[in-house]
Amino acid sequence: MNSTGTNALRHAVKKSNTDAVLSVRDLTVSFLTNGKQVPVVRGIDLDVFANEVHCIVGESGSGKSVTSLAVTGLLPVTATVSGSVRLDGVEVIGADEEVLRNMRGQDVGFIFQDPATTLNPVMRVGRQITEGQVVHGQLKASAASDRAAELMAEVDIADPKGRVTQYPHQFSGGMRQRAVIAMAMSGRPNLIVADEPTTALDVTVQAQVLSVLLQRQKALGSAIILITHDLGVVAEVADRVSVMYGGSIVETGTVQDIFDRPCHPYTAALLRSVPRIDAGDDRLKTIPGQPPTPAELPSGCVFHPRCALGAGKTRCQTERPQLRAFASGQMTACHFAEEMKPDRPSTTARAIAQAERAEVKPLLEVDNIKVHFPVKKGILRRTVGWVRAVDGVRLSVRPGETVSLVGESGCGKTTFARAIMGLLDVNEGDVRFDGRSIVGLSRKAMRPVRRQMQYVFQDPYSSLNPVLSAADIVAEPMRLHGLFEEMGSDKRIAELFEMVGLSPSMMGKYPSEFSGGQKQRLGIARTLGLKPKLLILDEPVAALDVSIQAQILNLLQDLQRELDLGFLFISHNLSVVRHISDRVAVMYLGKMVEEGACNEIYENAAHPYTLSLLSAAPISNPGMRNQRARIILRGDIPNPASPPSGCRFHPRCFRATDICRSQVPELATQSSLKTTSICHHAGPLDPKEIALASQAEGGI
Amino acid sequence: MISYLIRRILQLVPVLLVASVAIWAMLYAVPGGPVAMIVGQDASQEQIDAATRELGLDRPLIVQYADWVGNAVSGDLGKSIFSKEPVVKLIGQRLPATIQLAVFSLLIALIISIPIAIISALNPGTWIDRVLSSWSALALAVPTFWLGILLVLLFAVELRWLPSASRYIPFWTAPLDAMRNTFLPALTLGVYVSGILARFLRASLVGELRSDYVRTARSKGLPERQIVGGHIMRNALIPFVTIVGLMLANFLGGSVVTEVVFTYPGLGRLLVQAISTRDYPLIQGIILVIIVIFMLINLAVDMLYAYIDPRIEHK
Amino acid sequence: MRKSFQSAAKTIRNLMSRKGVVFSVIFLGALSFLAIFADILGFDYLTQNLIESLQPPSAEYWFGTDELGRDILSRVVYGTRTSLVTSAGAVTIAAVLGVPIGLVAGFFGGWRDAVLMRVVDVMLALPAILFAMALIAILGKGQMAAMIAVGITGIPSFARITRAQVLSLRNRDFVTAVEAFGGSATYSMFRTILPNSWSPIVVQAIVLASVAILLEAALSFLGMGVAPPTPSWGEMLRTGKSYLYEAPYYAVLPGIILTLTILSFDTIGRAMTDFLEGRHELGDHSSVDAESEK
Ligand SMILES: Nc1ncnc2c1ncn2[C@@H]1O[C@H](COP(=O)(O)OP(=O)(O)O)[C@@H](O)[C@H]1O
Ligand code: SF4
Ligand code: SF4
Ligand SMILES: [Mg+2]
Repeated sequence: MNSTGTNALRHAVKKSNTDAVLSVRDLTVSFLTNGKQVPVVRGIDLDVFANEVHCIVGESGSGKSVTSLAVTGLLPVTATVSGSVRLDGVEVIGADEEVLRNMRGQDVGFIFQDPATTLNPVMRVGRQITEGQVVHGQLKASAASDRAAELMAEVDIADPKGRVTQYPHQFSGGMRQRAVIAMAMSGRPNLIVADEPTTALDVTVQAQVLSVLLQRQKALGSAIILITHDLGVVAEVADRVSVMYGGSIVETGTVQDIFDRPCHPYTAALLRSVPRIDAGDDRLKTIPGQPPTPAELPSGCVFHPRCALGAGKTRCQTERPQLRAFASGQMTACHFAEEMKPDRPSTTARAIAQAERAEVKPLLEVDNIKVHFPVKKGILRRTVGWVRAVDGVRLSVRPGETVSLVGESGCGKTTFARAIMGLLDVNEGDVRFDGRSIVGLSRKAMRPVRRQMQYVFQDPYSSLNPVLSAADIVAEPMRLHGLFEEMGSDKRIAELFEMVGLSPSMMGKYPSEFSGGQKQRLGIARTLGLKPKLLILDEPVAALDVSIQAQILNLLQDLQRELDLGFLFISHNLSVVRHISDRVAVMYLGKMVEEGACNEIYENAAHPYTLSLLSAAPISNPGMRNQRARIILRGDIPNPASPPSGCRFHPRCFRATDICRSQVPELATQSSLKTTSICHHAGPLDPKEIALASQAEGGI
Repeated sequence: MISYLIRRILQLVPVLLVASVAIWAMLYAVPGGPVAMIVGQDASQEQIDAATRELGLDRPLIVQYADWVGNAVSGDLGKSIFSKEPVVKLIGQRLPATIQLAVFSLLIALIISIPIAIISALNPGTWIDRVLSSWSALALAVPTFWLGILLVLLFAVELRWLPSASRYIPFWTAPLDAMRNTFLPALTLGVYVSGILARFLRASLVGELRSDYVRTARSKGLPERQIVGGHIMRNALIPFVTIVGLMLANFLGGSVVTEVVFTYPGLGRLLVQAISTRDYPLIQGIILVIIVIFMLINLAVDMLYAYIDPRIEHK
Repeated sequence: MRKSFQSAAKTIRNLMSRKGVVFSVIFLGALSFLAIFADILGFDYLTQNLIESLQPPSAEYWFGTDELGRDILSRVVYGTRTSLVTSAGAVTIAAVLGVPIGLVAGFFGGWRDAVLMRVVDVMLALPAILFAMALIAILGKGQMAAMIAVGITGIPSFARITRAQVLSLRNRDFVTAVEAFGGSATYSMFRTILPNSWSPIVVQAIVLASVAILLEAALSFLGMGVAPPTPSWGEMLRTGKSYLYEAPYYAVLPGIILTLTILSFDTIGRAMTDFLEGRHELGDHSSVDAESEK
């Protein structure tokens, strides 16, 4: 092996180069699928410079990941790649495998999406972090362990020396992703490619990870390509942005320009279709239709079937627009970008008839319920403890009202919802539906209640029985209650299809023939058959792309208005919650910590956890980036089997005092508070506290 | 670890209980029951009564069972009806032969299967993968008794290199002779099991190759050799250990047919003899011993698994 | 149901695109044809002709003759009958008993699962051939006994496959949904879970068919299966083994047919497994990279 030779060559070329760290020209990637070449990336130009964060945004399947993998030839063998990719001046495409191997880890480091699977489960984390450096001869094997500890310390992993010899499963999700960052940065590469590095993480952990990533970038001066579908993250961290659609970059520019003056109809529409956390809009403006699939790309401009500006223009249907300079530093791939009208996202607040509704009798009342799961251990599998998945939540939902439950993963949202539906046993507390207690009812006694209370699942892919036709799926609940004929049989089905915006001609199709958004519509139609009064929606849009998410949210709002439905809406997405809710309850580790009217929660929260959550959530407005100070929570969510004493939030709370550690807090009673919060020191955020919180951050 | 060990051992109790009841009840399931077994189908009533009393068959069933288990635990599995020898002694004579054959077979299976699995997993879809995968399919499809016959035809009848009937010669007394005698049966069994092992290992290697951590390892610039040796093998070998253990357990009882083909004096052939002479105490004894061995090997494999897989917490 | 019909047609079309599967189907088809119409086609497996005993293969006796001068080819053809009938019966017994065990154990869990699975564990603690032999020691010899014994040894694999499938479906949202709508346990079990479990069960049946053929042959080889003069492949190998020096073809030729039969079933079974695993009929997550589960 002549790795020293190729290394020398690489570095010789490297010196002669002064501008972009990465320079991509006309990159094209296609995959051989079912004997056909399917183009997935179609001629991309991209420059990334040192010290900058370049975000690539787009919906799933737009070709983001494939582009990033092409950068160092990590694509599978079924891929055909052409064009030019120059990394530090060295051409990557067609390069010798040995040259590429030497680039990886030294010139470019990778961070992938799912920290649960990117690390080898049976190899010690420390070894995985430094392995690359050892292979490249940058580090002696004997020094590897110390270096690993040093790198871990740099990404704020506590007790790095002890952690070096641990295995990935002993790390929490956020810690693993920080270890991956340490690994990617270990060779001090000039370029870091991060593909959805925080998508699998909770908001508070996302904030930690992004802050560590940016901090390390500053120290090393690398360039970062950050791939994401989350416009909030883009607004928070990007310097420059490229928007991808259907395998092409449709617009590129600085983050400020992209958000203020999008010059491609797709970008503009995308920005309008995301709900915003900093303002409650009345109704989302959706993009009609669905993103294209690579196998069936529309002719001309790939966006034309969904584009309002291009409607009826033959040029859009026949001629593919090329990326061209539009304004200084901004480029667009639209023939008619000049004709776009500037539009500010509307910020008309949702009209909430709160006062009027308070009179109405609640549909659902949940009184301090607890759901505990036994922890079995030892030789005889005795119950040695309880996971307190839900440990006291109180809320009520009135007809026509949307009450949202927010919280991070594992805080007990789904358990709560399933317990209300009677799918799990309630250990304590009461659930009343229409004034009647429904806790502990038998299957039979529960049946009439089930007619009126229906459940919409998170994952549209797994919530529909794959062997039933769409019509049978929608009819199933009615048949189960023996009401199919009474409700109007096939006519009723057709009616329900139309109600959720599906064509009745699709009645005979099977779930696998529907797209994600259509499946979710089907899931909603199925619940409406029995004319329920209450829908429990468990993360109904979390698995959907932004543009589809907006369509479903609008549909839900329309149905609510039409049918006077009560919604219990469960979500971790603070922007979506702000958009859709009348009232909001915040959960942490099984307990409800704060509850109040939607706007009050977002404007006048008083509980430290709510304040931290809101502060960690990215805001889709790059202008706000430097104007707002952020609280970055320490540590991870504790194990609900052994929650901290006193207030469960105290180990991570910036206001914690001695009383918090010993006494469980009660409802805060100060009359100045606009929300109900359960905290010893409830109150609005004082700017001084943020400084305090950030200081404490060193001890993550 | 200790608590895990104890728990695993305790888990064996119900299995052993059910198994021992089933084996014990075997006697009562045969036509005429245990008495007829001793005195024959057409004995007189007096003979039957006498035997019933003598065997304690007039006692409650639960007592009879407890008695039988008690004896078994203290190492008394009764006497063979046919040879009148203690069952334990007969089994003790044959077990070493079976163990020696099992070990040889497993070695052969590993030597064949590991390279096949690695080569075909690293070249998926190529002609070499197809050839090697066909080997696995063929190895699995060829019945051991037929393969044994073919091997005898080739090595004993045609070439006259090896004996057609294999004797048991303890390896440590005469290694070369032992190998000459065990080679054909061991090859027969080894080929069959190499098919199972190669298929399993190839599948898990292919699965590991597709996993995210391999992409991560590539992105660090590790050479392919190190990715396979350092990352993939570790992951793939952990489940492989279980299958290898299972195969060993199967060899110890499952080499019946091969032993018959080569008239090899192992436990399996003893069982065939016992069944054809309706020697029930001997049948019961052999089956009990095989089940216990199977369980012990499984236990050992589980322990090993818990030890080599860092994901299993052992405190 | 139209769906299962459609998908079965699709599966078959896809499987037939593999050469190995085509050969296997043709081979098994031809073999079954011969076995079914053996009488009409004039195969004679009984007539003895001691003068012509142990004749090597010739134009008259394609596979030669046995020690009693009977036509080996005819005996192989009739042996196919024995083999296929025993194996079909055994697979049916195994499925009829194993599938419900797995269904109940997986669906209800708890003590029912513990009890049923312990029993299955015991059955697995003995290699199948030994288990079958032990059963034959009780049942006596004969084709029926062989069928039952082999069938019983196949119960654990059906029980386990079904249980695993039920467990993987049990917590899927579409099963929970049925419960949320007020469907009964029987409804979820038989109308929702079972219709989604057929594919692996069918594959298992095909795999087990080859195992059953092998086991039946092994039992006959040991003299514990089908009683003479009924022809059986294992029995032919057993006798042929005694004439290795005089008539090597006697043991070799029937063995080839036996091996090809097992190979064919295995090839089809494996192709189906590959196909099922590659397809992910349940939940097609091709490229969902929106926010993952929270
Ligand atoms: N190995 C592959 N073989 C065939 N198609 C692929 C492969 N990898 C990705 N694709 C397809 O390429 C398209 C773009 O994928 P990807 O880059 O992952 O999109 P994104 O990251 O924007 O979600 C998708 O339609 C995907 O199905
Ligand atoms: S080119 Fe036409 S269709 Fe494409 S974005 Fe511009 S106006 Fe719309
Ligand atoms: S009670 Fe104390 S620890 Fe808990 S949230 Fe309030 S201030 Fe923080
Ligand atoms: Mg992606």
